[in-house]
Amino acid sequence: MTDRPSVLVPIRVLEGESVPEGVPELLADAHVVLLGYHVIPEQTATGQAQMQFEERANERLDDYASMFEEVGATVERRLVFTHDGQKTIDRTIAEHDCMAVLVPNATRSVEDVLVAVRGTVGIDRLARVVAGVFAETDVSVTLYHVAETDESDGDVETLLEGLDERLEELGVEPSAIETRVERDRDALDAIVEAADEFDAVVMGETDPSLTTFVFGMPADQVADRFLGPVLVVQREPASSATEE
Amino acid sequence: MADERADVEPAGRNVAGEAPATEPKAVTDDTTVHDDVELERTIGLVGGLAIGIGTMIGAGIFVFPGLAAANAGLAATLSFAIGGVIALLVALPTSELATAMPRSGGGYYFISRGMGTAYGAIVGLGLWLGLMFASAFYLVGLGHYASAVFAELGVALPVSPVIGIGLLFGAGLTALSIGGTENTASLQNAVVGILLVVLTAFLSYGVLDAVGVFGGESVPETFFARGYFPVLTTAALVFTSYLGFAQVATVAGEIKRPGRNLPLAMVGSVVVVTVFYVVTIFVATSAFGAERLGQFGETAMVEVAREFLGVPGAIAILGAGLLATFSSANASILSASRAVYALSRDALLPRKASEVNLRYGTPHVALLSAGGPILVLVATGQVELLAEVASFLHLIMYGLMCVALIVLRRRDPPWYAPSYRVPGYPVVPAAGALASFGLIAFMQPASIGVGIVVMAGSYLWYRYYAGDVDLKGDI
Repeated sequence: MTDRPSVLVPIRVLEGESVPEGVPELLADAHVVLLGYHVIPEQTATGQAQMQFEERANERLDDYASMFEEVGATVERRLVFTHDGQKTIDRTIAEHDCMAVLVPNATRSVEDVLVAVRGTVGIDRLARVVAGVFAETDVSVTLYHVAETDESDGDVETLLEGLDERLEELGVEPSAIETRVERDRDALDAIVEAADEFDAVVMGETDPSLTTFVFGMPADQVADRFLGPVLVVQREPASSATEE
Repeated sequence: MADERADVEPAGRNVAGEAPATEPKAVTDDTTVHDDVELERTIGLVGGLAIGIGTMIGAGIFVFPGLAAANAGLAATLSFAIGGVIALLVALPTSELATAMPRSGGGYYFISRGMGTAYGAIVGLGLWLGLMFASAFYLVGLGHYASAVFAELGVALPVSPVIGIGLLFGAGLTALSIGGTENTASLQNAVVGILLVVLTAFLSYGVLDAVGVFGGESVPETFFARGYFPVLTTAALVFTSYLGFAQVATVAGEIKRPGRNLPLAMVGSVVVVTVFYVVTIFVATSAFGAERLGQFGETAMVEVAREFLGVPGAIAILGAGLLATFSSANASILSASRAVYALSRDALLPRKASEVNLRYGTPHVALLSAGGPILVLVATGQVELLAEVASFLHLIMYGLMCVALIVLRRRDPPWYAPSYRVPGYPVVPAAGALASFGLIAFMQPASIGVGIVVMAGSYLWYRYYAGDVDLKGDI
């Protein structure tokens, strides 16, 4: 058995967001960090919302935690009242050293998963998440890469074979792994289109840049357009935490 | 990461049978931790400075120059400097208390934990009411600026629209705070940034002009044209322009890295606004002389800008004045609502008072209980009285905060572990307390009377409603 990768499942616990169908089964082999959070406007003190909503939020979070526990996942739970949901999510990722974040969309039982492979950076974490979550299941894993124009076939082959080997080392059945390569396409569109045939997507987080600042993170865009769950593998945390 | 224990155990019940909420287990740089809940801290240093400067700058620059010059002549400059020094003497001890107890409620929290429930109740209820007086004062100032816009456009109105506009904006702000869920913090930061840029440009020009670079003639005047005493009464009047730094402490529970950011935001905002105020008064009085400046009243700065830069200058300052008084009023209403929360958390007000609206997630009861009385106060239109009562109630709190610091330092309870310690103890907090209480003596008798009535009312409410509640830390 491989190490359980810790996966953050953020839920806006008081806004009717709940754990969608199929998600507990998807993460049965993972260590789930269940983050219930409630975003309140700045006119309201966080403690004010806590006084009123703590009990209800905790009850719901208990229910959700047991949904994950019933299918075999290990669960850690946090409840946070915040003015800034993104800050809370980022902090929780750092504190629990989460390998991936789940964008929780409903799914039927997962039979196949698309793994979008982008570059050599972060390949090891990608492999550990995929192997940790899917090695013990019958899910078939398709490694998917959209090649850049200056990337030779040899480069692509090395990349995907490297990942393939790493997955096998980590206990994924070789027969469960497929690879697929595309060229001359916008990576984002290609991923969304390809994902259509799959039950879930695993992809890496992108470094923040001007484009991501304007258009949002590709992972978020995929999650918006693909209706199933997306596991976003996080970058290696920076060695020294940057502070404001 | 600081892992300070806020080891205070409140006890007792109020008339309605409500007990104070339990204290948090720990306070970290990013959160306040209760048993199985965390409260995220989301306001950074810039946000803290924006709250402090944004609350203060509206009054000192855009409302008081004319009034202060009328009272004290050129020496009004000194009045603002005195106010700044007193504010700094209080901001330093407040910083120490805030790093030891970074919780919502600011001064009320420190005093109730350091000196007991009775003092806490007087200060807490006084703070809530004081913020209402302050908001009303800013709204009347806003009314004056909006009226000046009409005058500038050449629209003649049969009655003075000052109070009507103040009421309109007061009601509008309350409604906006209840129904608006947009992110207002970044807006507040932007407003403060714009104000500082406009003012810096305007004041730089003014200073150069005053010292004769542009060949302008400035009127040499006797500094103490009206004697020494008005300098102090004017300092008491304009102290309302220094109330904002304590509002930073009111949201102390939401400030990131409180040990570092709270002292920087509080002391920093006091220093910044003091410099701006003193330069503003200097420029304004050198443009016209105190006599004429005084005749312009609340919107004197518009005339100063017109003198230097013509109509565009007047328009720029009008716009800045509207923004500044608006943001001051808004910040004060929000602080008042935080004060209600802190009081109801400790069972000094009904729990219902801090209830959160299910639809908008905003504390509608607290906001309405601030907004309603504010409208009544605006309707009086008494700028100077409103300002002085607000200052009176804050000065009582400031003085008691300094006393609380001395009490805590002397008893040195194990839970009191501030990460910032005030320099020059015990001289600085003692001077802060004496100066705060001393300044009250220079106010008009009417303001002192209203202030004392408010305090007595707060004490009676505490005796009636929450006489059994014990909030004092174990010291």
